[in-house]
Amino acid sequence: MTSRAAAARRVLVLRCPDWPDPDGSDGSNGSDGSDGSAAARAFEPVVAIVGEFCPQVEILRPGVCAVAARGPARYFGGEAELARKVAEAVCLGGFTCQAGIADGLFAAGLAARSGPTGLLVPPGETPEFLAGFPVGVLDLPELCELLPRLGIETLGQLAALPPAEAASRFGPAGGLASRLARGLDPRPLIPRAPAADLSVQQEFDPPADQSEPVIFAAKALADQMHDRLAAGGYACVRVQVQVCCEDGRELSRLWRHDGLLSALAVAERVRWQLDGWRGRASGGQGDDADEPGGSGSGLGTAGITLLRLVPDQLVRATGRQLALWGDSVPSDRVARAAIRVQAMLGHACVTRPVLAGGRSPAEQVLLVPFGDAAVPLRPADRPWPGQIPAPAPATVFGSPLAASVTDGSGQPVSVSGRAQVSAPPAWLSADGGPARAVTAWAGPWPVTERWWDPPHARRQARFQLVTEDGSAWLAVLQDGRWLLEASYG
Amino acid sequence: MGTGVAQVISLAPARHRDDVLTGEGLLPVLPALRALLPGGGLQRGSVVTSGDWGLLALALAAEAVADGAWCAIAGVPAAGMRAAAEAGMDPDRVLLVAEPGPGWPQVVASLLDGFDIVLLRPPEQPPPQLRRKLEAAARRYGSVLVVAGEWPGAQSRLLVTEAEWTGIGAGHGRLRARRARVAASGRGAGERPRSAWLWLPGPDGTVTAAGEAASGMYSGESAPLASSG
Repeated sequence: MTSRAAAARRVLVLRCPDWPDPDGSDGSNGSDGSDGSAAARAFEPVVAIVGEFCPQVEILRPGVCAVAARGPARYFGGEAELARKVAEAVCLGGFTCQAGIADGLFAAGLAARSGPTGLLVPPGETPEFLAGFPVGVLDLPELCELLPRLGIETLGQLAALPPAEAASRFGPAGGLASRLARGLDPRPLIPRAPAADLSVQQEFDPPADQSEPVIFAAKALADQMHDRLAAGGYACVRVQVQVCCEDGRELSRLWRHDGLLSALAVAERVRWQLDGWRGRASGGQGDDADEPGGSGSGLGTAGITLLRLVPDQLVRATGRQLALWGDSVPSDRVARAAIRVQAMLGHACVTRPVLAGGRSPAEQVLLVPFGDAAVPLRPADRPWPGQIPAPAPATVFGSPLAASVTDGSGQPVSVSGRAQVSAPPAWLSADGGPARAVTAWAGPWPVTERWWDPPHARRQARFQLVTEDGSAWLAVLQDGRWLLEASYG
Repeated sequence: MGTGVAQVISLAPARHRDDVLTGEGLLPVLPALRALLPGGGLQRGSVVTSGDWGLLALALAAEAVADGAWCAIAGVPAAGMRAAAEAGMDPDRVLLVAEPGPGWPQVVASLLDGFDIVLLRPPEQPPPQLRRKLEAAARRYGSVLVVAGEWPGAQSRLLVTEAEWTGIGAGHGRLRARRARVAASGRGAGERPRSAWLWLPGPDGTVTAAGEAASGMYSGESAPLASSG
């Protein structure tokens, strides 16, 4: 890579700290479902403000966007001036922000996080700027663990390795890390294309009462959309289907797929969506979980006047790589069935389980909506001392059942600060049910978790209880209340 | 609701199942369960019941999933996926529909179209007409419907009749294994009731055959539990 090519990309990254970092939040269900969409919508005004300085804004994630800095900097009188003006305009809009400019997106992102208002790294000084950062900022979990053990603690040390050696020793991730450490871009920016240009729509006059003509039109529209995308060298991984009814309502839903959506796949989704809405309206069920971006409760019998397809997330069309699912790539048949059920119940109602780490059984499984990617915040392959050893319970209650555990004289069983039970448990009554005699029990096993983090801190004592009917329970005593977390067998 | 199922079935034409697990055959089950099922496996297109929800339902599907089949679990928000994984079921090939809602028959019919095995705990006792429609869907798509609950038309019925936990006493030890007697009955020619003793689960969460004699095999020394933050 010549220095000229490396120096060619000046990037301004604007970061709004009001939007939480996805890696910084400690949500127990780490998917980006509804929050992501709402956050993206809330971020739109910021993007619009930045778009007045440079129309081609790339949204990296809600809260962070980037523009190529070179052209606007020339117009606005220098990079420092540009950064100041953009930050000022965004602040006037009522948002706090940090702006960073550097060579390449990665360095610009770090520059934006450095200091209260961000940092300007002069052209050509990016490698020096990066050299001091620990390798942990690379966001490549495996490498970030491995490199320090090999004595490579900073990006500077990583950049000092010959690039070819880094790639051959650490694989594609190593090549990528080496590029980033040297201040090069891992991938070219995809400017945010004006979405209106790529959306396609068809009006129905007279309004279509049946789904079939709309689905038929959807197929043609999807073909048209794909032609336009292909002409620009894009493919889309998420498409928004908007339907307008004659009574003025507009219903929309986002369809995401980690593969690419073919024309037929888009048309099929329109069919499921219409079927789902019609079915819901005719079934008269009101309590559906509304999708993010969805609105209204169903089509009812209103005719459809307009169908619009908006490609929502664009990627460079470079073919696709199957990595999210590891070896278990769902066949078309499985995916189709899953997506059809999602059309009936909502995106978040079809989940795949991902094993995670934790001490309570409910923490050990993360449910990720089908089609989304998620990495457990608490990896399963850590020791987690104090977790209940195998065998695991076959029934894990999402929210623990209230219970009462009493001793032979009918007094509630309690545990002292020194982990002594007040009396052996003799009776268990689950969820207000009849009391059953406890035939065997074990515990208490005290667990004190996250005492350094008061909102999430937890002190519990766990018990295993076997009742006379042969069932076995995992019970927990917390703040003087007995809860059943799981049932065995 | 019944018409809803009919629609789903008529919308999707019977298509060629071009996957690895094609055709007529049997889906494999864990060795310990083979003697309990006719033919030694799960007959495609059949309905099997497993009594109330529990490890037995997961164990029925475990081997087939390990063999590459896809499994959907419907109506069981509390399914213990770690127990499933310990029993040999790869969670990567499992999807959960925790709350199939009031339109659950249509959801199950759609799942039967795509998945090799559907574990179902019906939210309500389905009327006979609806049962027959779902049975027809299973036959049509060559899937296996494993029901945790009552299903009068089931080809095989498995039930835990006796169970005893070992390893735990009055204030000492911990749950290590459950020795359970599983009784099987079925419909059709030459079916006579059978039963077998299983470790359901064994000390490492697996499901294996247990001997006839009640042994103290897993009731011995139990490691004390570490506890810390």
